[in-house]
Formats: sequence, C-alpha cells, structure tokens
Amino acid sequence: MLSVLIWAPIVGAAIVGLLPQSVSTRNVRLAALCAAGAILLWNLWLMTQFDLGQAGLQFQEFLPWLPQIGLNYQIGTDGLSFPLLVLNSLLTWIAIYSSQENTERPRLFYALILLVSGGVAGAFLAQNLLLFFLFYEIELIPFYLLVAVWGDAKRSYAATKFLLYTATSGALILAGFLGLIWLTGASSFAYESLLGQTLPLGVQVVLLGVLLVGFGIKIPLVPLHTWLPDTYVSASTPIAILLGGVLAKLGTYGIFRFGLGMFPEAWSALSPWLATWAAVSVLYGAMAAIAQKDIKRMVAYSSIGHMGYVLLGGAAMTGLSLSGAVSQMVAHGLILALLFHLVGLVEAKVGTRELDVLNGLMNPIRGLPLVSALLVLGGMASAGIPGLVGFIAEFLVFQGSYTVFPVQTLFCVVGTGLTAVYFVILLNRTCFGRLDNAIAYFPNVAWSERVPALILMWLIFLLGIQPKWLVCWNEQTTVALVASLPTVGPGHLTDLHPLAAQPLPLVTPAIAPPAQLPG
Amino acid sequence: MLIAPVFAQTAWWIPLYPLIGMALSLLWSPAVIRRTGPRPAGYVNLVMSLTAVVHALLALCVLWHQPAIDISASWLQVAGFEIDLTIEISSLTIATILVITGLNFLAQLYAVGYLEMDWGWARLFSLLGLFEAGMCGLALCDSLFFSYVILEILTLGTYLLIGVWYNQSLVVTGARDAFLTKRIGDLFLLMGVLAIYPLVGSWNYDDLATWAATADVNPTLIALIGLALLAGPMGKCAQFPLHLWLDEAMEGPYPSTILRNAVVVGTGAWVLIKLTPILTLSPIVSAVAIAIGVVTAVGGSLIAIAQIDIKRALSYSVSAYMGLVFIAVGTQQVEAAFFLLLIHALSMALLVMSTGSIVLNNITQDLTQMGGLWRRRPISGLSYLIGAAGLIALPPLGGFWALVKLADGLWSTYPLLVGILLLVNGLTSLSLMREFCLIFMGTSQQMTVRSPENIWLITLPMTIALGLVLHAPLILLNLGLLPDWLTLNRSLAFLLVASSLVGGTVGALLYLRPGERQPVQLPWQFVQDLLAYDFYTPKLYRSSVVFGVDILSRITDWFDRYFVDGIVNLVGLASLFGGETLKYSNSGQTWFYVLTITIGLAAIASFMSWGLISHLFGTLLG
Repeated sequence: MLSVLIWAPIVGAAIVGLLPQSVSTRNVRLAALCAAGAILLWNLWLMTQFDLGQAGLQFQEFLPWLPQIGLNYQIGTDGLSFPLLVLNSLLTWIAIYSSQENTERPRLFYALILLVSGGVAGAFLAQNLLLFFLFYEIELIPFYLLVAVWGDAKRSYAATKFLLYTATSGALILAGFLGLIWLTGASSFAYESLLGQTLPLGVQVVLLGVLLVGFGIKIPLVPLHTWLPDTYVSASTPIAILLGGVLAKLGTYGIFRFGLGMFPEAWSALSPWLATWAAVSVLYGAMAAIAQKDIKRMVAYSSIGHMGYVLLGGAAMTGLSLSGAVSQMVAHGLILALLFHLVGLVEAKVGTRELDVLNGLMNPIRGLPLVSALLVLGGMASAGIPGLVGFIAEFLVFQGSYTVFPVQTLFCVVGTGLTAVYFVILLNRTCFGRLDNAIAYFPNVAWSERVPALILMWLIFLLGIQPKWLVCWNEQTTVALVASLPTVGPGHLTDLHPLAAQPLPLVTPAIAPPAQLPG
Repeated sequence: MLIAPVFAQTAWWIPLYPLIGMALSLLWSPAVIRRTGPRPAGYVNLVMSLTAVVHALLALCVLWHQPAIDISASWLQVAGFEIDLTIEISSLTIATILVITGLNFLAQLYAVGYLEMDWGWARLFSLLGLFEAGMCGLALCDSLFFSYVILEILTLGTYLLIGVWYNQSLVVTGARDAFLTKRIGDLFLLMGVLAIYPLVGSWNYDDLATWAATADVNPTLIALIGLALLAGPMGKCAQFPLHLWLDEAMEGPYPSTILRNAVVVGTGAWVLIKLTPILTLSPIVSAVAIAIGVVTAVGGSLIAIAQIDIKRALSYSVSAYMGLVFIAVGTQQVEAAFFLLLIHALSMALLVMSTGSIVLNNITQDLTQMGGLWRRRPISGLSYLIGAAGLIALPPLGGFWALVKLADGLWSTYPLLVGILLLVNGLTSLSLMREFCLIFMGTSQQMTVRSPENIWLITLPMTIALGLVLHAPLILLNLGLLPDWLTLNRSLAFLLVASSLVGGTVGALLYLRPGERQPVQLPWQFVQDLLAYDFYTPKLYRSSVVFGVDILSRITDWFDRYFVDGIVNLVGLASLFGGETLKYSNSGQTWFYVLTITIGLAAIASFMSWGLISHLFGTLLG
C-alpha cells in the first residue's frame, strides 16, 4: 500500500514527462494535477486505515534487494512519518496547482515535481538507512534542476549553493550512517537492528554531531542556513512551497528518527546545547527577518525561526514537546506553503516584492482584498495567534519544554513576539495604508488562483480550532518514543532553574517516565 | 416557566450568536454580495446582538440566586496533558455578558447611524461581532488558558479594526503600535500561563484558587510568575507603560471606540480579578499592581487634561480608571473592582457616544476647534454631563458609590491610597469639566456653526445609555448590591464629593473665563509638554525597544550577509581558485599521471597496512 506513495509519483512523472509535444501546457499541468490528486486521495484513504492506537510501524513492506550489504527495500510508517507523508502529498498537489499555466518546458517541470514527491515519500517511508539515504539524495537532483531552470535571475548562484550545501549534508549523513554500522558491527542497515546500540557515549556524541550538522543543513539551523534565503527566493512559487513545506521537514524528521531515536544517550547529553541552539536559531531567524526588505526573503527567514521550535521540542524529550514538535512540522508546512503562495500571487499581480514599494493591497476596489486578508491570517498564524494552527503546535512545544528547559523556552516565546514584529511590518506595508491609484491596475486574481490558499487557510483554521485532529496522528508514537528513552540527564528543571527547588509538577505523566535502556 | 432552565443551560450559545453575525456579515464584503449594498451586514449583526441580549436576560432571570452551572469539555488531550474548556454559567458571568451584549447592541445601533455615509460595513461589523463574541467567551470561560487565547485573538481584532480603517491618516502606524504593545503584554501572559501549569496542573480558575490557598512555593518563582500574569492585564487595561495602544487605537472608527473604552479594556481587569488568588501569593506582585495602578491613575488623569484630541482625552481617563481597578485588585477589593468596572463601562460608553455624536457632524476631534454647542446640541450636552457625573464621585449616581466603596475598603489598610483616589477623582472631574466647557461652552467656532442633533440611530442609543447611567444605582439598589448608606464612612463620602466639586469648579473657572479663549499655560513649560506628549512614551519606546530591535536586526542581517554567508562564499571561491590553480599542474604527459597514481596508491596501501607493518617491525626489533 505504501509503495504506491513512492512509485505512483515516479510513474506519473514518467508519463507526464513523455507526453507528446502536441499536448498543450495546460493539459500537461492538468495531467500532473490529476496524478498528484490521485496520490493525495490514496493518502487520504490511508488515513482511514491508519491505526491511531498503535505506536509502532504500520503497513510494513519488505523486499530483499541487496541483502549482502544489508540494503533491503523495507518501508513502513508510524506516527512520526505519517503526518509528514500526508503533508507531502497535499503540498505537492498545492504546488502543482499554484504553478503558472504557461510554465515553460512543462513536461520536465511537472515530471520533476512528481519525482520530488516520490523521493520525499520514499525518504519518510524508508526503514533502512541506506534506502533512506538513496531517497534523500534522489530528490536533490530534481530540486537542483527546478531551481536552476525555472528560478529567477539569480537562479544559477542559488541552485549551485543549494546543491553544494545539500550534497555536503548528504555526505555527512552517509558518513554518520556508515560510522554507525561499522562501529556497532550491525549486519544490516535496517533501523530496528540499530535501535538500542550500546556504543560508548563519546562515540555516540561524535556520530550524533555528524548527523546533526548533516540534517541541520537541511532544516536549516543557524549558521548552516545561508543557502535557504537565496534558494527560496530564487525558486518559483511552487518550488518554494515544496522546499519550505516539505524538504525542510526531511531534516527535522531525520534528527528525530536518527538523532533522537538511535542515539538517545548522546541526545540526552547534548540536549541542553540543542535547546540553546534552538533558541539561538529562533531569535536569529526572527531578527534577520525583521531586517529584510523583500517579502519573500522575509518569509524565507521566518522558516529558520520556526524550525527552531521543532528542535526545542525534540531537545526537551517529553511526550508533549515531541508531539508538539511533530505537529509544528505539519503546521509550519501548511502556513509556509500558504505564505509562499500568497507572496507569489502578490508578486505576479503587483510585479514587485519590495516592501518599500508595496502598499494598500487591502483596498477593496482596486487592490487584492482577499489575497491580503489571507496574507494577514497567514502571517498571524505564523506569529502564533490562537485559533490558528501555528499557535497550538508552538504552545505544546513550549508547555512540554518549559519544565525541562525553562530559560530556552522563554527565549523562544520572545521569538514568537519577534515573529509578530516582522509580520506586522510586512502586513502594514503590503496590505494596509493607501493604495496609489495611479499604479493600481492589477490583473484580476482568478478563483482558481485562490483555491490553494483557501484550502490551506481552511486547514489552518480547522486544525487550530480542533487540534486533536493534528496531534492524534503522532501522539502514540511520540509517547512511545519518549518512554523508550533514558531520562533527560543534565537538563532538568531543578538543575537549570534554581528557582524551582521544590516538589515537581502534577503533570508527571507528561514527563518521560524513567525507563532503562534495553541492554 | 417550564422552559426557563433551558436558557441558563444553553447560555454558552451566547458567544455563538455574534460569531454567526460576524460570519454572515463577511458575506457583504466587497465583491461577494453586491446587489444589496453593504448595509445588511449591520442589520444581521444587530439582530444577532439583540438575540444575545435577550438570551442573556432570560438566563439571568433563571440564574438569579441560583448556584452556578459548570460545563466542562475536553478540548485537547495529548501525551497525558489535557486542556479542558470549562465554562461557568453563574449570575455574575451572565450579568457581565448582559452588560457586554447590551453595550454592543447600542454601539452597533450607533454604528448603523455613524456609518451612514461609509461603505466599510462588512469589515467593521464583522470585527465588532468578533469582539462581542470574544468578550462573552471571556466572561464565560473559567480557564486561564482560554482567557489567554481570547485576549490574544482580541489583540488581533484591535489590529484589524484599526488597520482596515483607511479614512484616518495614522491608522497604519496606529494599528502597528496597538498590536505590538498589546502583544508584549500577551507574551508575558503566555509565559505566565506556561509557568503556572507545572505548579498547579490545571488552568481552571477554581483549581488555581484552591491551589493558591495552600500553596507553598518558592517566593521568587511565584513573584516572577505573578508579574508575568500581571503583564497581560496591564496591556489590556492600558496601564503604564503599555498604555500606548489605547491612544493609538483612537485612530479607529468611533463606534468601536465606544466598546473599546467601555468594555474591551475591562477584559484585562476581568482576567486580573480572576487571578487575584495567585497574585496575592506574592506581596511583591500586589505591591507592583498597586504601584502601576497609582502611576497610571494619576498620570493618566493628568495627561487627559493636556490632550486636545477629544478621543485621546477620554482614553487617558479610561487608563486612569483602570488604574483604580488595579489598585482595587492589588488591595484585594474584588467587589469594589467589579463595581467600578460596571459603572465605568456605562458612563464611559455614554461619554464616548456623546462626543462621537459631536465629532460626526463637526468633522473634527480637535477640542480647540469646538465651542458653543450647548444651545445647538442639548441632548448630546446633557448626555455628556450625565456621563461625566456618573463617572466621578457625585451622588446619587454610580461613580459615587463605586468610589466610596473602594475608599471605604482602602481606609483601614492603605489610607495613603485614599488620597490618591481623591486626587484622581478631582483631576478627572477637572478634565471632564474642561472637555465640557471646550465643546459646549464659549462661542461658536468655524467648525461648530452648523451642528444639528444627529439622526435617531445615533441619538437613540445615546439616550438609552443615558437612561442606563441614571438608573444604574436604582437597579443596583433593588438588587441589593449598593453599599448601605447607614454603614458607610460618611466623611470619606464627603471628601470624595468635595474633590469632585473642587475639580469641577477649577475646570469651570479655567475654561469659562470670559473673552477670547486662550490655552491654559502652566508656569513650567516642561511639565506641560511632558503631559501633552504622554510622558514622551512614544519617544521612549522608539529610543528603547524599537531602537534595540532595529539595531539588533540590522546587526544580525549584516552578520548573516557578510560573516556567515561571507565564509560560505569564501570557501566556494577558494575551491574554485584551487581548481583553477590545479588545472595548470596538468602537463598532459602520461608519466606524470602514472607517477601520481603510483605515489597515491603507495600512500593508501601503506596507510591501510600500517598496523601490519608496525607489527612486523615490532617483532623484528623485539
């Protein structure tokens, strides 16, 4: 069942890529849209089959491939990867929908997008380190081409930077994986054979460090982030949606699956540093975003800050914070996709992304009122206004992390305040104020262009008001993951927070119960 | 009466009515429904508000002297952590809702008249609906978490309400400042919300109170938490130094100002009152609450006197009264705080309605351009006078009773604060009298020559509010809520009335001088400027927080561009350069490549067999 998510996009990509030249651009887009829609429907059907009560892997598939080197086609999904799979299918569809109808070289373009979708799904599904690595690297090439061919004027610089960074990330991850296999002497690359490894802590820390830098590039975390603004800004709207909405999640998924899952002791030893790193990322991203003059760049920097919350949730290692972190990945994917879509629309209609030029788009007669209204809501969702999905995810992370890392958590709360600052700058300049009637001759926004935004906005609202439907997918898995971990060693409330020298919370069930590591 | 209990049990529907009104009025946004024009948006909201009022009234009749109904539903349950949506339907909460929905109904009726010539109905009315729903929800919900959620949504509401009001020139910066200053308070509140949960394990106010009764916590920790929790209401109630937003929010449309000055500021006080058990755990927090209240009350009433914009003058009086509420909560006079809130809401609504009716057809908010309107605008003038009399301590109206109650409670414990109360009351009388004289007395000016009373849609809600202010003491007396005259501290009552009279007389003497109207000059220009420019708060913000964030963001950006990215580009350049240089070492001769490969292979081989070789040598030598 799960293989469909990998192979259907690849088959779809082949079909779309091989459509005869006589097929018009519109119909190529339509074909790609149908393919992505079918995959999304398949994913929705899988949602009905997914057992919410089960923490472990579901829908497993196994096919021997190269057992000599321990490489098997072994896939499956659990609460950590399943929400991201759905997000991937959804955003692929949204990205194709938000592409322009007159895209050049449409066959290649849509084929590559579908290929990316298949590759990302494969990486989320893989249960074998080598298989993960293959998929992780496979989506790199289509992304490079998508940025390098359909990007803006600075695309070649951006694409090269992206390629070099991500290739480094891949090399580091491979090094980490190989090191892990060699040092443990495991017979296969399968995840389960590596869980509960008993390497010395020092070795673990080194391996974890390598993986952290590798995935940290993908997420990206400060200071490994400089490819991000260039790439996001140079990429066209659909590609930016995929990059920010899906690709970044590969990094956070990776650090959870491999960092936290395979090196729990080292993770726990490093967790105060990770939490601090998260706080620095959040504040740095927000501060850099405030200084931007280009709205797309601003949104791109906002992504850096929001990924910091995910790391914070992971570092705290409580069931609540982890569940919040996985929810935050989904929430961030939805919000960022919405923002990139809207920013793309503004650029397409008004012809500029410069903050100093934009003004008064909220004007109901000659502006872009609905686009502006959605932009306001999207920005506010990103800034963590309650009632929208961003809030509850961040809140769960904060509440789950506060008991473990109070100081870092509070700094991250300050980060949400700074998020509000740059979104207010963005909205004030873009949406509010007086529209200059002399230049306000914008093309009409067609309903079809609003559809992706409306779908995303609806989801953001729905999941914000009924967050149960967001967290239920990952709850069992994250709780089980935490239960299998050693207690958070160095960073406990009593140690870091001298004020809290008193009997601890009533919420003990939310905190990781002390469990011995097997072996 | 069989059907009656249903109204109480379904009282949680009340916030839903305005919410439906909000959703429906959005349909009349531009480009959705064009045929009817935007006015139905207002009517839909009016109907929904009226439904809410009626429902609240029926529910109150059922609930009077009855125990509260608690409704609880699980909203989110994850990883052993639970957020419950608890609702308390009691006579107090429903009475509050009645005040909120009643004033909302009046304000919306007022807005129908006020927006006669405007086309922005959908956005204004949908946001008014949002505010009404939020405030009703806040009154009902019994959980700190949801209180925070609602306060934050209302912050967004304020931002939108001001931001989409294109008619005023300063809306954009006003919206920004209002949003960000409120957000500062909200974020501190969020920190408090996060921090209190691990200690108590619940956010229900009842659980918080139960916990606080027996709590044994680290005093520093609870002081910090208390201060964080205090910051949220501080922002909402426009207390120093987070009062800037109320001033900036005055750029918004007038009908929303009625609500904001009367009830929206009260949301903060409501949460503050609910949090009293936690705040009193730490004497530092109580002291800070009192200090903030005193500074705001005195400062706000002084600044109000120095304003020339009528909306801003009133808004500083609002801050001042909310400061009194802070004092009441800081000294644990919860009843007096509720009383003061109610009286303030009614009187302030009337004052704003009256001045709004003046502003609408004189097209200016500038007090210096008004004058001589008493003969032309008797109803508005009378409304203003009654509103002012209701706010200050002037028997038999409500303000007198509220202030006397507060003073009575303070007298035995904090006699100094009674002095503050007298001062604030006197200053507010002075400022209200000044505004009255500037608007209604003196000679007509250019802007006030033609000024008839407005259409009934504006005058009717104003006179209804007038009736409410006049009857408030009577209603309260019948309900047995008024302090007993016989047990009252009469000397305090006398002092309060005297301070009102002195303030009013000074105001009248200063502003009823015959002859050409001259602005009053204080002997110290510095003090006058300080008050006129709101203690230079905007400047203070600009040179501290705004400046800091700005500089820090520029530094981060520079660092990002030139340092982090610079290193990356340097590495890129270096490798390019390296490649270019290496290119020239290629001679094209076969022997060179063979040599390179051989040396390389030898190196790798010796590296890989290093262990063997050393072992070999070891045995040979050994």
